[in-house]
Amino acid sequence: MSTQVHANLTRDQVEQISAELDEPEWLLETRLSALDALDNLDMPSVIQTPGRTWTNLTDLDFEGFVDPLNAAQDKEREQPDGVEVLEWSEAVAEHGDLIEEQFGSVVDPEENFLTALSTALFTDGTVVYVPEGVDAEDVKIRTTMNSRSLFNYTLVVTEKNASVTILERQSTGGSEARSASDASGEAASVEGERYYSGIVEVAAGENSHVQYGSLQNLDEETYNYTLKRGTADTYATVNWIEGNMGSRLTKSEVETTLDGDGSESHIVGAFFGHHDQHFDINSRVWHRAEHTTADLVTRGVLADRARSVYEGVQDVGRDAWNTSSYQRENTLMLSDDSEADASPKLIINNHDTEASHSATVGQVDAQDLFYMTSRGVDPRSARNMLVEGFFVPVLDEVAVDELRDDIEELVAERLRE
Amino acid sequence: MSSDQDHLKETDTEARFEFKKEEKSAFQTEKGLTEETIRLISEDKDEPEWMYERRLRALKQFQQMPMPTDWPGQPDLSEVDIDEIVPYIRPDIETRGGADDWDELPEEIQDTFEKLGIPEAERKALSGVGAQYESEIVYQNMQEQWEEKGVIFCDMDKAVQEHEELVKEYFMTKCVPPSDNKFAALHGAVWSGGSFVYVPEDTTVNMPIQAYFRMNSEGMGQFEHTLIIAEENSEVHYIEGCSAPKYSAFNLHSGGVEVFVGEDAHVQYSTVQNWSKNTYNLNTKRAIVEANGTMEWVSGSMGSKATMLYPATILKGRGATDNHITIAFAGEGQNIDTGAKVYHNAPDTKSTIESKSISKDGGRTNYRGLVHIADGAENSSTSVECDALMFDNESTSDTMPYMEIQESKVDVAHEATVGKIGDEDVFYLQSRGLDDDDAKQMIVAGFIEPITEELPIEYAVELNRLIELEMEGSLG
Repeated sequence: MSTQVHANLTRDQVEQISAELDEPEWLLETRLSALDALDNLDMPSVIQTPGRTWTNLTDLDFEGFVDPLNAAQDKEREQPDGVEVLEWSEAVAEHGDLIEEQFGSVVDPEENFLTALSTALFTDGTVVYVPEGVDAEDVKIRTTMNSRSLFNYTLVVTEKNASVTILERQSTGGSEARSASDASGEAASVEGERYYSGIVEVAAGENSHVQYGSLQNLDEETYNYTLKRGTADTYATVNWIEGNMGSRLTKSEVETTLDGDGSESHIVGAFFGHHDQHFDINSRVWHRAEHTTADLVTRGVLADRARSVYEGVQDVGRDAWNTSSYQRENTLMLSDDSEADASPKLIINNHDTEASHSATVGQVDAQDLFYMTSRGVDPRSARNMLVEGFFVPVLDEVAVDELRDDIEELVAERLRE
Repeated sequence: MSSDQDHLKETDTEARFEFKKEEKSAFQTEKGLTEETIRLISEDKDEPEWMYERRLRALKQFQQMPMPTDWPGQPDLSEVDIDEIVPYIRPDIETRGGADDWDELPEEIQDTFEKLGIPEAERKALSGVGAQYESEIVYQNMQEQWEEKGVIFCDMDKAVQEHEELVKEYFMTKCVPPSDNKFAALHGAVWSGGSFVYVPEDTTVNMPIQAYFRMNSEGMGQFEHTLIIAEENSEVHYIEGCSAPKYSAFNLHSGGVEVFVGEDAHVQYSTVQNWSKNTYNLNTKRAIVEANGTMEWVSGSMGSKATMLYPATILKGRGATDNHITIAFAGEGQNIDTGAKVYHNAPDTKSTIESKSISKDGGRTNYRGLVHIADGAENSSTSVECDALMFDNESTSDTMPYMEIQESKVDVAHEATVGKIGDEDVFYLQSRGLDDDDAKQMIVAGFIEPITEELPIEYAVELNRLIELEMEGSLG
């Protein structure tokens, strides 16, 4: 399959993308190398149990999805004082050295087939650069995808003692956008299945604080791969909020490497699948230094024929003395045709560790429902209230009001469909 | 556990074994295990033709299957070279696998027996020394007591001769087909020895059946097969006494255990294993439970270089129940990869898994579990609890549970914790006059108590004693 995609892609295309962004030679080389590597790379790892691969990425028709030279999107970037939020060509021009230093330092471009594909083809990028000591307000990045495929790259660099909150949103162009492209004769390019890919690298400097919230609400014909990974230096914090509502299939990997002593990470996830959506959600943390703390919390709801695959990894290295690591995952099933798979993993190599994980799967509590209906609430509203209530513990963990409100609203909307 | 998901989900596969028989080996290999080896084994045992054919089919499957190599964090099996193992099997039908002499046993094993306080005569039996020892004696006693009620308890080889129809029906057909995994296939080809237990309807065997001394009676004790059939409304507790470290020239143990729990029946299978530390312990153990039946697994995994063992239960009938209690202890150079698998294939089924592991001196423990709740298995519930205790940062403890939930009306809970042995607890006990080792030993004994209280007293004592020995580091 990989050869098919490759066959569809050419060095010329990659060179053209790179030239349009006015990129330096090293970056072009990185892209070309990623392109060449496609033949030999595997899909991102997915869980396998006897006779079964939990998420089937290998059968996806990437050849059909990928249309590298026709990427189109609406982009909004809000830049608060003190921070630089730059679109890619701008960033390349202004911070060439910083990008050369950081690009690919957290996520290896050739880590897997999809990261390589993304590296070779990304046409859109954002660099968020927070200089030393700056406490930034909210950075907002909104992406509306208007083409068959879209490859996004985001780099966040915080210097010592800086802090920033970033809100990212992905959606697909609505019917208006589609009919607009009808008019321009490009309708065929956005009908049917699409592919969105986003790589996010966060390098959090000493004692800095990064909060990265993401809300994915792509249309349900879109396949989605996102890999978000941060490294936290001494006393730094990298927190992730990962909301997944849309897409046909999502493979979302959210990860932190706790590289510095006393660093922390908090990963909060919420998803709500319906119809035949498939979410493969990974939360992973690597404790690689002393006195590090991690807390992974994910809650999801499944309706109709939706399916979730959850993998959480807490990996405590040999030198990670005095580690605290916690993980919880809860799934609520609203339908008998849905499926909830979970594998929360603990990998512990240092005994000076306090670690726990737990996972539950269940349905709306029958007694709660009965109690509410006996108080005059109609069954449908009662169920909806209980589902909204189910999300409260994770929403409480979402420190960003706007993101929390948006997730709440989308959940409510979906329940009232 | 690589290939047989459909079997596990369906279990109504009486015919599957027969489907396999037309399979042709994709390649012929001269070195390694050959048909000639199988013929020798089968002839030596004077087996019926059908068993010989089953062995051959298993051999073909074995030859076609790849080694399990791609499980995340699995023990390294690269040393398990089948071509190296086979010569042990091929020519040695007549020679016994054990040592001829007590003095030939590795020192650490002698030492363990001595420390366990086992009398010398028994030590020899336990370690498989001396071919004159026959486990028949143990079986015979059981027979006398229960045979009038129709209970059968005998050596598996004997069962093939004397209870052919039962064995033909149940042996590696419905529960553990050789196609299940590479080592199940190997087992199907070269199995030898083991226990056969049959408990008729409405019969309660109210004392544990123990197969303690089954070593090497056929020269290939590493491939013993245990088949337990408990008919409707019967009850039996079977204890496999691998509680002594078996000495063996072989470095692979690949046993098979099949348990059939009839409607309303109750089977408990307990085992405490302490293989010598050059052994690869790669087993397949599985139970099928009919409506309202109960299966209980109690297992302690102590010895071996590497263990991969995940006793599995298929809850086939409505209201069936499964309980797993496991403990793993890994010391220096050991990798104990163990857990439990439960398939909820019917409504109102319940399972609980309680797993405790201890790792020390660079030892590695892994809980690898799978809970599958099939669509339609409504009102099923499962609860998994894993606790790991670690002594030092040379050791590793992993927890890898997998949960596949295809039914919404269920209650699924998994919980795991890992922690070091509490400094404060040790300090507290020391301040009461215990030395460091005794304090730690006491904490470990408390940690594994939920396991030991499920075992008959002599096994509980032995398990504690074995752990004590490990803690002293006297076994190296």
